[in-house]
Amino acid sequence: MNSNLESPATSTTPATAQPVLEVSDVRKAYGTVEVLHGVDLTIAAGERVALMGPSGSGKSTLLNCLSGIEPVDAGTIRVGSYALSDASESELERYRRECIGYIFQSFHLLPTLSAFENIELPGQLIGMPTTERTERVHTLLEAVGLTHRAGHKPDAMSGGERQRVAIARAIMHRPQVILADEPTGSLDSSSGGRILDLLESLSRQYSIALLLVTHESSATRICERVVHMKDGCIVSA
Amino acid sequence: MRFFTESRVALLLLRKLSLRHWRTSWGNYLVLIAIVSIGVGAFSGIRQAIRAASANFSLFNEAVSGQSDFLIRSAQGPVSSHDLASLAEVAASPDWHFVPVIESSVALLDESGAARQQLRLIGLDLLSLGNLPNFLDRGFDISDGSSDWWSALGPSDQVWITHSLAHSAELAQDDSIEIVFGGLLRTITVAGILGSPADNLPEDLMIADLPSVQRWAKRPAELNRIEVVVADTNQRADRNFLAAIEARIQAQLPDGYRLEATAEQAAKRASMTEAFRLNLVILSLIAMLVAAYLILQALDAAVVRRRHEMATLKSLGLSARVLFALNLLEASLIGLLGSIGGLAVGYLLAWGAVHLLADTVNALYFATSTQAIQLSAQDCWIGLSLGMCFSLLAGWLPARDAMQTPPAQILARGDWSPGFAWLRRPRIGLSLLVLGGLALLIPPSQLAGGSKMALGGFLAAGCWIFGGALLSGQLLTRLARLLQPLSPRAVWRIAISRLADGSSRHRLAVAGLVVAVSMVTGMFQMVGSFRGTIEVWFDVRFQADLYVSERGVTGQGNANGITPEVLQSLSTIPELAFMDALYIEQVEGPVGVTTLAGADFSIWQEGRVQQIWLRAPGTFTGIADAQPAYVSETFARRFAVMDGGAVELSTATGPRRIAVMGIFADYGNEFGSAVVDVPVWQEWTQRQRAINTTLYLQPDVAVNTVRDRLRLEYPGLDFRNSQELRTLALGIFNDTFRVTAALNGIGITVAFIGLLLGLIAIFEESAQTWRTLKQLGISYKQLLLTAGIEGAGIALAACISGTLMGLALGAILIKVINVQSFGWSLLWQLPLGSFALLGIVMVAAGFICGVGAAAWWHKKI
Repeated sequence: MNSNLESPATSTTPATAQPVLEVSDVRKAYGTVEVLHGVDLTIAAGERVALMGPSGSGKSTLLNCLSGIEPVDAGTIRVGSYALSDASESELERYRRECIGYIFQSFHLLPTLSAFENIELPGQLIGMPTTERTERVHTLLEAVGLTHRAGHKPDAMSGGERQRVAIARAIMHRPQVILADEPTGSLDSSSGGRILDLLESLSRQYSIALLLVTHESSATRICERVVHMKDGCIVSA
Repeated sequence: MRFFTESRVALLLLRKLSLRHWRTSWGNYLVLIAIVSIGVGAFSGIRQAIRAASANFSLFNEAVSGQSDFLIRSAQGPVSSHDLASLAEVAASPDWHFVPVIESSVALLDESGAARQQLRLIGLDLLSLGNLPNFLDRGFDISDGSSDWWSALGPSDQVWITHSLAHSAELAQDDSIEIVFGGLLRTITVAGILGSPADNLPEDLMIADLPSVQRWAKRPAELNRIEVVVADTNQRADRNFLAAIEARIQAQLPDGYRLEATAEQAAKRASMTEAFRLNLVILSLIAMLVAAYLILQALDAAVVRRRHEMATLKSLGLSARVLFALNLLEASLIGLLGSIGGLAVGYLLAWGAVHLLADTVNALYFATSTQAIQLSAQDCWIGLSLGMCFSLLAGWLPARDAMQTPPAQILARGDWSPGFAWLRRPRIGLSLLVLGGLALLIPPSQLAGGSKMALGGFLAAGCWIFGGALLSGQLLTRLARLLQPLSPRAVWRIAISRLADGSSRHRLAVAGLVVAVSMVTGMFQMVGSFRGTIEVWFDVRFQADLYVSERGVTGQGNANGITPEVLQSLSTIPELAFMDALYIEQVEGPVGVTTLAGADFSIWQEGRVQQIWLRAPGTFTGIADAQPAYVSETFARRFAVMDGGAVELSTATGPRRIAVMGIFADYGNEFGSAVVDVPVWQEWTQRQRAINTTLYLQPDVAVNTVRDRLRLEYPGLDFRNSQELRTLALGIFNDTFRVTAALNGIGITVAFIGLLLGLIAIFEESAQTWRTLKQLGISYKQLLLTAGIEGAGIALAACISGTLMGLALGAILIKVINVQSFGWSLLWQLPLGSFALLGIVMVAAGFICGVGAAAWWHKKI
């Protein structure tokens, strides 16, 4: 885990970097319907990968499996030091708290918390010391350009602003991987563009791997690699 | 370490999330807190009221003698002033003081001559009271500063009254008041006011000099007891000191006297009402139970409302345990705030209920006084603990539900409900029904006062109600599936299909209503059957023309009765055919206090006095060394002589045996009564006074004319015809069940509020469905109608299940709990009209709740 926010890694991620996410022959079925048919995927530290595919291809299921929400039927998923297949529920919870950041299409900000508090929350969940936490929230607010909105609640913000808060929240606890599920799906193209730029810049700045699930080919511009899924399989990488 | 971290996070989230929800929906939470307050208040208020209403014996002791330590009684009958001479040697010790006491009841009349209030007149040896420091502390002073202070004890009729009585009756020193005493009118003077308003002396206490009371009551030389007060009151707390004093007095007491600790006597009296108090406490817990149900529904609705927030927290890695703790913390906070409010509500309720309960205790158990309501530290702790416990219990299911909330990614798929899987399984419900059946095999437990607690009956009732509630979901879905093919229109189809699907929230809503309905219908049957039985009993029993009792003094609170002279005088009324006087005295049976009554056996044996006989006279044969007696059903069950036998009673003149000759129905109290012939009663009790009498007039006499004439001739007596007595008795009956009726009302109201909250939660949880329906073009009116049908369906299923469980509860109440706790058989009556009305009201209310919930939800989105 990157423990020094103010000392970002180099702007380019070497192709030979240590893999941070390894998916090997993952299978998942709902009842008799197999949704994932032996998926293999590796993402290096700091690497940005776009995952594309038509509806029903298994993208969301894969993302859920990667975030430890859906157990896999076969195969292994390893993120950092976590092997998800063998993890207990409490280990999975810790994994989600510490290892990944998740960005939703519909933001899912907590409506009763201000922007500052929403971003601060993951830090509080992992027990980050108060001073460090506050300092980091301020830094992130500045990074996403929302310092002036720190005290605002989500319902007082635009969609783009909400998503920027969600992005800041996703990296607050210094995850190794950000899983972004259609992060621009609820935004207009201009706001979506700015969000993608922000994601790229933060991923570079903090050397965080990014798996971006998207329908829009324009969104892939920030990624170093595009992976296509079809019928539960990776068809091209 | 992990525990502390998680606790910290839970507290943080409580502050940052839950309490902020409170701020935005403060009205909802205020209502929730108020509901807990009402529940805790009902429990705490009844507890305080019953304590204040039963403050009889100890109160007197504390008020007058500053807590006496021992009582001296005679083994040969009532103690008398003549006994004091033989006790003079013991009394001479400087280490203790003897206080002879005579107790009686009088009626205080108002200016119009009507009985205003029943009072307890205590006769004390006022000369000896100067020895009692506490008495002087109360400001009691008969000397008035004059040198011939003893003249105050002259022949004039004077009494000392308490501040509270002076205040309520607007009396002052030297005022003249009219009282009825032993059936005679008497005018007396208020010699002084005792204590100060802060002393909390009872409102019904009146003190006079001992010989005066004996003279007024025509009970010459008679005493009720001799109290013993230790001189060194500072050492009272030392048990060894008291034991040593007790041993010394005991050693010096002449034969034929016995020494009892006052505390034991007070405890004995208190234990007499134990079953009564316990039943009230159980009833008041029902209020707490329905409050808990409402909290459950409201918190569950809150969990549904905040599902997305929780799902997001889960996605951020918040553990299920913290979510669980967070919800329990919220529930306990509601419990804490509600309980604090409940203590205040209880205090106010106690003020309202104390006189009602005191009247019941007076009518059924013993003479009692009321004292000021006092909220003790123990009341506070019990109230707070109760509120917290019930709130935590109520919060448990919603907290479990919250814990099962999936991360936001899963939730985003659409309508999602983890539900309470166990609600769908009939196994638990069926097990509870079986468990309830087994609980009926548990024998009643014996309480300290000799009454019995139908523990098995209460357990069975609880198990069956909750079992039935859990199974009611099955009925809901089956009923809906039956109706499904008959639902041609869209709104019906949607509503019925949702009921047939039977989400756990639908089932929970039905279950809550079932609990309330079964309790209400069960109580309907119990009260209705009791009333019906009593009316039948009245028809048989009240066949005399006139009923005579001391004016203004009723029930077991009557300490005087009618003097033999007055009774003799009544027997000479020219229109009289015959008279049946009743004599009563409380005696000790093998398992607690009971009533020994005296009646004219010749009249009973000739069948001139009607009774409902469970075992007619002649069923049993006599037993050597035992006096024949007719006993009430309660007595027979309590002392296990339903099939005949003998019982030994400890009377004022020693142990006496009675042989059961017949068993009659009686619905007085749970202690029962044994009736012996009057001469036997007088010999055993050494008393002469009848508590009341009935007059059977000659045929063709105008009863009311005789009644009116006798009222003028005997202003100290009450004369009532059978209709008037019936009205009076039913009035007491209605008063006794007023608390039950109030709690029933609370139960059913809260259940419907619960249904409304439940339906709102159901709507919120199905938000995606409703949005889709809106997109498909469903109109607002159709939405309301769908919701109304859903609500009515839930109410209908609850009504059917609840009535079935109510029948079971009625059977337990009438056939088990009443028989075991009170020892009387009731005729089981089904108020079918009330059931039908309740059903119609419920279905209509369910429909309105559904419409209301949909309208609220629609407005919100």
